[in-house]
Amino acid sequence: MLIATVGTVLGVLSAEKFRRSRLFTTELIAREPNHGNWYPRTITVKRGQPVRLLIRNIDTVTHGFALPDFAVGAKEIKAGHVETITFTPDKVGQFPFFCTVWCSPRHEEMRGVLVVE
Amino acid sequence: MTDKLFGLVDLNARLELTRFKPVRALFKSRWFPLAAVLVNTFLFVVILLACLVGGYSAGNYNFGIMIVWILWWVMLMFVLVPVFARAWCLMCPFPIFSDWLQRGRLLDVVPGRKPFGLGLKWPTRLRNMWLMNVAFLMTTYFSGFMTVRPMASFILLGLVILTAFIVGLVFERRNFCLYLCPVSGFQGLYAQFAMVEVRRKDPEICRQHKVKTCYLGNECGHGCPWLLAPFNFQKNTYCGMCLECFKTCPYDNMGFNLRPPGADLLVDNPRAPRKLDEAWKAFIMLGIAINFYLAFQGPWGWLKDMVRAATWSGFLTYILYHTVSCLVIIPAIFLGFAWLSKRFSGNREVPLKNVFTNFAYTLVPLGLGVWIAFSLGIILPNGSYLLHILSDPFAWGWNLFGTANFPWTPVWTAYLGYVQGATMLVFYLFTIAFGYRIAKQTYPTLAQARRGWTPIWAGLTALTVFFVWLYTG
Repeated sequence: MLIATVGTVLGVLSAEKFRRSRLFTTELIAREPNHGNWYPRTITVKRGQPVRLLIRNIDTVTHGFALPDFAVGAKEIKAGHVETITFTPDKVGQFPFFCTVWCSPRHEEMRGVLVVE
Repeated sequence: MTDKLFGLVDLNARLELTRFKPVRALFKSRWFPLAAVLVNTFLFVVILLACLVGGYSAGNYNFGIMIVWILWWVMLMFVLVPVFARAWCLMCPFPIFSDWLQRGRLLDVVPGRKPFGLGLKWPTRLRNMWLMNVAFLMTTYFSGFMTVRPMASFILLGLVILTAFIVGLVFERRNFCLYLCPVSGFQGLYAQFAMVEVRRKDPEICRQHKVKTCYLGNECGHGCPWLLAPFNFQKNTYCGMCLECFKTCPYDNMGFNLRPPGADLLVDNPRAPRKLDEAWKAFIMLGIAINFYLAFQGPWGWLKDMVRAATWSGFLTYILYHTVSCLVIIPAIFLGFAWLSKRFSGNREVPLKNVFTNFAYTLVPLGLGVWIAFSLGIILPNGSYLLHILSDPFAWGWNLFGTANFPWTPVWTAYLGYVQGATMLVFYLFTIAFGYRIAKQTYPTLAQARRGWTPIWAGLTALTVFFVWLYTG
């Protein structure tokens, strides 16, 4: 009984924590501006270190992702889907990322910033 | 003289499945159904976690929403209830925590142990389906959130589990399952149609057995947790199929039978009478099915906005309409047909209440058909989402079975209306078959029964035509 209840919760959370520690730099949540916009809006990474973004679309509409300064993106992230983006930032500065699918009337406000230190 | 359903199957025919040794051994094992309950406990922990993690994200890609409202609901309406009666109650994990605390043990039995908790008796006036009728109707108020927002499902399931636990500590045995659980009532009602039953085998053995171990319990098992008298089961309505009576009967006098569908609909005796609370459950289920179809599978966007509370006034209007249609309008229309039935029959002795209550049971097969057809409209367009959520249950980017990127693939949706219409026609045949028999039970002469049946038959036919039009139109 304890295995089925407490064990399941602890097992699932530990497995995910371990997986993230090995795979992902950060989790980015995609929502249209009326529902909260990108979260976090600012992501800070270090130059030369590989970055792995886990992008979760928790919205009910399709979103996209583009980070043009590093030529990476996801053409289409459907509602409920998760995409992984991997790249290595090779320059320092502040670089915008944004949604590439017309997701709402406030689509153009769906922007964030990647800070490379 | 035998009474054959559609001229094919004797309604009194029974095939006792527990006469086969492996089945009997399974039913007598203390691991069954506990093992199934434990598997479902694990599954519901994952469901709750997925709903909590999912929060306000899209419901169609949430494990909790998809398993509960698509897979579980459809399984319940397609197979579990119409074929296996209350088979879900057999494996339901909700009361396991209070059972554990009451009994002090999960698996074995300590004879004579005083159950933990206050052990109060359930109030006599509430020993019926009325609370469950209200609980289920109120639950459906929030269907516009529960089916699309994981957090809403988390709150609902959490409340049900918590209530089951608290009620189990205050009242004896499984009063929560009997009189409060929102999904218990309609399972009980529709289980009367089911193709299996738990019944005593030889009444004489039960009569001779003075210590009713099936009710009191012994070293082999607990007394009926559903507070029933297994030695005198008449209907499936309240039997939760926990199988304790198979374990406690020293004479192996309990049987698990395969039977023709709907046999319980003709049972009406002082020990298991037809009742108004069950009649209202049938009306409520029919009303909910109509309103759900209009809101969730119909083309009316303004109605969807009302159900999902786009505005407070719209939501409150929907609740008012939903409540009045289920509790007042549908029963009132049915009362009109019952009154016509009494008038047509020419019988002045049979109380109108009896005519009304008896014929309300014709809505059991019809309502089941409506719900099966409605469930087809859920599973065929949405079933493919299940492949995604099985691979990525928490929307964390997992791909456990390699199906995380399986695209949304509606199945046979071009034929959906026809399949739904055909389903309605099949269950209409059952409705007519049992309705005519109920008419013969209600009125003392065959001529009166035929005349009294005519308006009810016309009403049920019109209702079926309405649903076929709704599904295919």
